[in-house]
Amino acid sequence: MSSSQVGSPSVGAEAPASKAAQTPEARPVVVQTIDLAKRYKHGRIAVAALDGVSITIAKGEIIGIVGPSGSGKTTLLNLIGGLDRPSNGRVIVDGVDLGTLDEGKLADYRLKKIGFIFQFYNLMSTLTAIENVELPMGFANVPKAERGERAEELLKTVGLELRMDHMPDELSGGEQQRVAVARALSNSPSVILGDEPTGDLDSKSAKALMDLIWALRREKKVTFVLVTHDPIVVARCDRVYSIRDGKVLREIIPKTENAKRLSEEESLMMDTLY
Amino acid sequence: MSSSMGMAFRSLKRRRLRTAFTVSGIVVGVALILVLLSLTSGTSTRANALINTLSPAQITVVNSTGRTSGAVPAGGNPVFIGRGGGVFGGAGGLAGGGAAATFAALFEGSDTMDQSVVSAIGNLTGVAVASPTLSSTGYVNGNAAFLTGINPATYKEATGGLNIVNGTDLANSTTGSQLVVGQILATNRGLSVGSVVTVGANSTGGSQFTVVGIYSTGNAFGERFAYLPLTTAQTITDKQGKVSEVYVKATDPSQVAQVSGEITASIPGVSAIAPSTFTGPATALAGTLTTFFTIIGLAALLAGGFGVVNTMMMSISERTREIGALKAIGAGKGQIMKIFMSEAFLIGVIGGVAGVVVGVSISLALPYFTGAATSSNVSGVGAGVGGLFRAALSPTVTPGIVLLSFGLGVVVGVLSGIYPAWRASRMDPVEALRHV
Ligand SMILES: Nc1ncnc2c1ncn2[C@@H]1O[C@H](COP(=O)(O)OP(=O)(O)O)[C@@H](O)[C@H]1O
Ligand SMILES: [Mg+2]
Repeated sequence: MSSSQVGSPSVGAEAPASKAAQTPEARPVVVQTIDLAKRYKHGRIAVAALDGVSITIAKGEIIGIVGPSGSGKTTLLNLIGGLDRPSNGRVIVDGVDLGTLDEGKLADYRLKKIGFIFQFYNLMSTLTAIENVELPMGFANVPKAERGERAEELLKTVGLELRMDHMPDELSGGEQQRVAVARALSNSPSVILGDEPTGDLDSKSAKALMDLIWALRREKKVTFVLVTHDPIVVARCDRVYSIRDGKVLREIIPKTENAKRLSEEESLMMDTLY
Repeated sequence: MSSSMGMAFRSLKRRRLRTAFTVSGIVVGVALILVLLSLTSGTSTRANALINTLSPAQITVVNSTGRTSGAVPAGGNPVFIGRGGGVFGGAGGLAGGGAAATFAALFEGSDTMDQSVVSAIGNLTGVAVASPTLSSTGYVNGNAAFLTGINPATYKEATGGLNIVNGTDLANSTTGSQLVVGQILATNRGLSVGSVVTVGANSTGGSQFTVVGIYSTGNAFGERFAYLPLTTAQTITDKQGKVSEVYVKATDPSQVAQVSGEITASIPGVSAIAPSTFTGPATALAGTLTTFFTIIGLAALLAGGFGVVNTMMMSISERTREIGALKAIGAGKGQIMKIFMSEAFLIGVIGGVAGVVVGVSISLALPYFTGAATSSNVSGVGAGVGGLFRAALSPTVTPGIVLLSFGLGVVVGVLSGIYPAWRASRMDPVEALRHV
């Protein structure tokens, strides 16, 4: 994670809307979006999946993204993760404007700066757990011996040292998701983006995954952005952006907000589930 | 990234049945090409070897008045006479029955001619050299053998001579008690350079000869002869002044057909045969067959290739989300290409190996279906000639053919993988990840 310590671009300059004062000022900014917009064309009608989103995320934060289905959460993650290009606005990660990167550089950015965790794990079905963790290191041309060593260490970190040679379909959902976390960590990214990472897990596995995420933040200063519908996840996040129709509706800080405020948000989210 | 091969392997292993179907398309194409290539190559190389053994000169002159089959047991060659469906059946068909019938004389042996024809032929314009030989069956140390009396000097000029691999050739004389034997004969009878043997027209008696050299022809039939000076041969077989073949070399190689016709026309009682005048069409036929079968084989491979494309497209569509995830975790286009190209390459390699195994098996088994029965009811020379025909029909599997067929399988696999792999590499990751 030391590589992500580079540069500490103007935290205050593009301060997020209202609660900027409560963001820990000492920490360097890892992700910043400025007036981010993405429009999709459905035939003749253009749909604004994202419409002017400006957020700032500091190193070591765990950020929640909540909002009803179709509000633009996945689109936001895809833009931060360099999987898609914005129609308008900018994404700056570790001081680099993604708009300046060509396709090859963008792939390299995803490889080295970003880790992805998905709701349905998306491990390579033809690779064992350890090979899945080694894969991104292979893409990054890390020497074979080093890859194996590091993958082993990461699988130990996520508590899967006894499952290293299992194929994904021989692992439970919770185990697969922990392999995915190890895979996301393999090239020491600046930020890990999770799109409903507990969405397919039972409550016990979800709790285990959350404990892992918070331990990684505590011990390795890993930064997370988690799209979630899970109130328990939301309650543990440092800050939460609530998104509606492609816009940031508000920013919540669960630990400092009063319980009533939180339960409002909670019910809001529960609404969206049904 | 070395894991792409392992990944490809497991992906194929996972869908065994589908992989088997896909691979079988390539197997059929590769096996077909291998069998056909080895069949045509075997046929043409062995046909040439056979012709060279039977008629080592440009023109062979034999008695045309009748046949007593002194040298070969009656019914000696059912394959040839019955047109068993080989090269010579084809050659005869093209060159006309007459040529085939005359050519049969070479197998069956013929009446001798008076030695005076040799100078008559030699005096014709366009003839560079006419070399007489006397072929007969005889005995070496009491064992039956083919004896051929030659004039060593002119024989060399007319035919290029024997390929001596041990010892020396016969001295340039038509008399003397020297013997040159073929490698197979030497091995079978325990002869070596310096051996003193008894050679005669029948199993008892004869005169003493010294083996001075051993020759090789590269085919079994041609190595069963014993060559000796012509006059000596005439004496021990009691055929003084007689010859059975006259080998002729034309001054101008392009005039072989004309000189051959001239000999038959101007010298009574003889018939001249120029094998090149009908091996040409046979070779052309073999060429046509090769082209024809190659096209069939390539068509089969093409079909196999489409099978690979189809399977790969299926596999890519099933793994859309995985491909999206690959892109998300930072795989470049080239790396995704590589993953799927590895799969196609592996299909090609498996198909190539299996195709070679199947093709070689068929090639090895083929002679047992086409010719095994023919030689069982003949003996002596008949067995030799029959065996030779069987050999002419049998495919020759060379390392080159194996490599070429295998290579074609791999190339087809790889070529078929390009489009699907390219499609996978350009998938939009956002769409791919939304795929359910
Ligand atoms: N690739 C796309 N093509 C067209 N429309 C899209 C695409 N991706 C997202 N959208 C639209 O953008 C809006 C936001 O989608 P998304 O970001 O997936 O929402 P969420 O993740 O919050 O459910 C939706 O209306 C969706 O239909
Ligand atoms: Mg979504």
